[in-house]
Amino acid sequence: MRTRTLTLVAVVATASALALTGCSSSKSSGGTSSKAGGLGGANTSSGSSGPKKALKIGFQGALSGDNQQLGINEINSVNLAVKQANAKGDLPFTLTVLKSDDGGDAAKAPAAAQTLIQDPAVVGVVGPIFSGPTSATGKDYATAGLGLISPSATNEDLTKSGFTTFHRIVPTDGVEGIAAADYLAKKYKKVFVVDDTTVYGKGVADVVRKELKAKGATVQSQGVAQNTQDYGAIAQTVSSSGAQAMFYGGYDAQAGLFAKALKAAGYKGVSMAGNGGKSSKFESGSGAAGNGFLFSCGCQDATTAPAAAAFNKAYTAAYKTPPSTYSHEAYDATNAMIDAMKTAAGKGTVTRAAVETAINALDFKGITTQIKFAPSGEVAQATVNLYEQKSGKIVELGDIKNQK
Amino acid sequence: MTDFMNYLVLGLTRGSMYALIALGYTLVYGVLQLINFAHSEVFMSGAFGSFIVIHAIVGTGANTASWAVPLLMLVGIVSGGLTAAGVAWTLERVAYRPLRKRGAPKLAFLISAIGASFFLSQFAGKLFNRFQNTPFPAFYNEDSVAFHLFGARVRVIQLVIMGSAVVMMVFLDRLVSQTKLGRGIRAVSEDAPTAALMGIDIDKTISRTFVIGGALGGAAGFLFGLTLGFGNQMGFLPGVKAFAAAVLGGIGNIRGAMIGGLLLGVIENLVPTAPWVSAPWIGTKWTDVVAFVVLVLVLMFRPTGILGERLGRAA
Repeated sequence: MRTRTLTLVAVVATASALALTGCSSSKSSGGTSSKAGGLGGANTSSGSSGPKKALKIGFQGALSGDNQQLGINEINSVNLAVKQANAKGDLPFTLTVLKSDDGGDAAKAPAAAQTLIQDPAVVGVVGPIFSGPTSATGKDYATAGLGLISPSATNEDLTKSGFTTFHRIVPTDGVEGIAAADYLAKKYKKVFVVDDTTVYGKGVADVVRKELKAKGATVQSQGVAQNTQDYGAIAQTVSSSGAQAMFYGGYDAQAGLFAKALKAAGYKGVSMAGNGGKSSKFESGSGAAGNGFLFSCGCQDATTAPAAAAFNKAYTAAYKTPPSTYSHEAYDATNAMIDAMKTAAGKGTVTRAAVETAINALDFKGITTQIKFAPSGEVAQATVNLYEQKSGKIVELGDIKNQK
Repeated sequence: MTDFMNYLVLGLTRGSMYALIALGYTLVYGVLQLINFAHSEVFMSGAFGSFIVIHAIVGTGANTASWAVPLLMLVGIVSGGLTAAGVAWTLERVAYRPLRKRGAPKLAFLISAIGASFFLSQFAGKLFNRFQNTPFPAFYNEDSVAFHLFGARVRVIQLVIMGSAVVMMVFLDRLVSQTKLGRGIRAVSEDAPTAALMGIDIDKTISRTFVIGGALGGAAGFLFGLTLGFGNQMGFLPGVKAFAAAVLGGIGNIRGAMIGGLLLGVIENLVPTAPWVSAPWIGTKWTDVVAFVVLVLVLMFRPTGILGERLGRAA
């Protein structure tokens, strides 16, 4: 009797363990999307006579919840850019920011979008900052004719879903993967690709695999569970395979563990990860074992880019903390939006339609990239940068295309 | 052959940790006939306890003199063991003894254990932080290779883990088979009422069993954290695996837990990677699946586990 009960307990526990292993804490896929909101709908004359028209830039993003830090990084930049534009005094209108919190949640996004759409003074939107909320609201914004510039929504499909007013200034995970694969294929003929089986990790790893094969490299491939604690076996596999390079599609903390295991397994080749791996968590997790680890990221290093020096100073002075992930992109998106509004004002009335037209025609030099949109809404000149961890710190090496 | 040995060494290293944790499940099952599902958090507390002590001694771990490394390892094992033993003792007092005194049904113990497990895990998260995979101070060179076996790298730290696990297991085996306390533990697991009539203090024996099991789990927590990192959620998967290992070897059976742990670790590393197959095989993402499929298969053909259950018989 006791045996039977025990077997039952064991079987139940095993079943639940299997279930739990299968669906344990899934990190949301890395993409964050932001919409650029223009001050739309209001009829503002750009004439020098009379009081200046009051216009608003909308911001939709996560300002509460688990991922609020990204939203805060971005709204700070939006506020800073608007403040600087008003202070300059050459605007033919006065500008304020209307922020709308979607909590990073696609379910809450439509309501957040309506807040912006229904205010006639909003002629353009910076955001939404995450991919999920963007796909939930892209249609609404398109119907309202409200132009969007997202500083951080990286999911591939957003520009293929009929969201006619959607633009973004960051390259997609796919663009980044191709750039990374091209870089690796230039130098190495035998590459091992590992993914963490998440939407983000597997997505970028698949792109890398395909591009590597297209460039004639030999590709070996494996997956590891996202919550793996012991990377010994996979590190040994990579090491034994004789690969000259390894690409890991996955997130920071796990990449750090993996880097340690690779070193312990005696792996001598090059290791690389995408934007999901690049963070301070990787630095602290990998320690000395992470030195030499490469990252491809369609982002601008917050601290080192020379063009960003003035912004870094102003941001730090205003918020008592240095700018962080996607702050620079949000600053660029906002300035591009303001530039589009100025163009619209120069041609007559600042309406949502006029701003949207001006966004499509933008050619604006930002601190992270040249902002000029392809008809799809993708940034025409996507810069993917190469980063490397040196002495425990991840530093930027520059445009990945120019790296030897 | 080189690859086979590489994975075997990895498997034995991981298996040693499973075996140490599995002993905690098996010991408690022996005396109480209940699965202590909070044991995975006892294991976790060992990692936290030893981290606090080691961190206080070496800071970031840079510039640690090489003569100090073995001492620090010992300090880590002892402090991890002590922390976890304390947690296990408290756990027995708070979550189990009141139920036992009131003659609660077995199911109540199970629920109590799961509650305690959640509480401990979240409490650790609240007290420290919720980052996973936090590394220990790097006070030793984790890459230094002791020797090569058929071309496979055997690292010093792997030897330390396996060696300390073997020492602790031999010690436990001796303790249970040859000391008065061990006789008491065996007597209680054989027939608790009769043991009480023979003058054995059941409460004390049970409490000590928790402390011994906890200490072994805590030592494993230190070894695990040292090599793989720690966090407040770290206990779950190793806990479930070690429980599987205990059942695999025959729960309640001390030698069974040791064998089950080592076997599970080796299977987990060798089967998904299959170094003897040259073609692409299922790969490491199936590691956890393989572990539990093996468990299910063993239970189908041998429901009492490899060595059979019962603490008394085997020890």
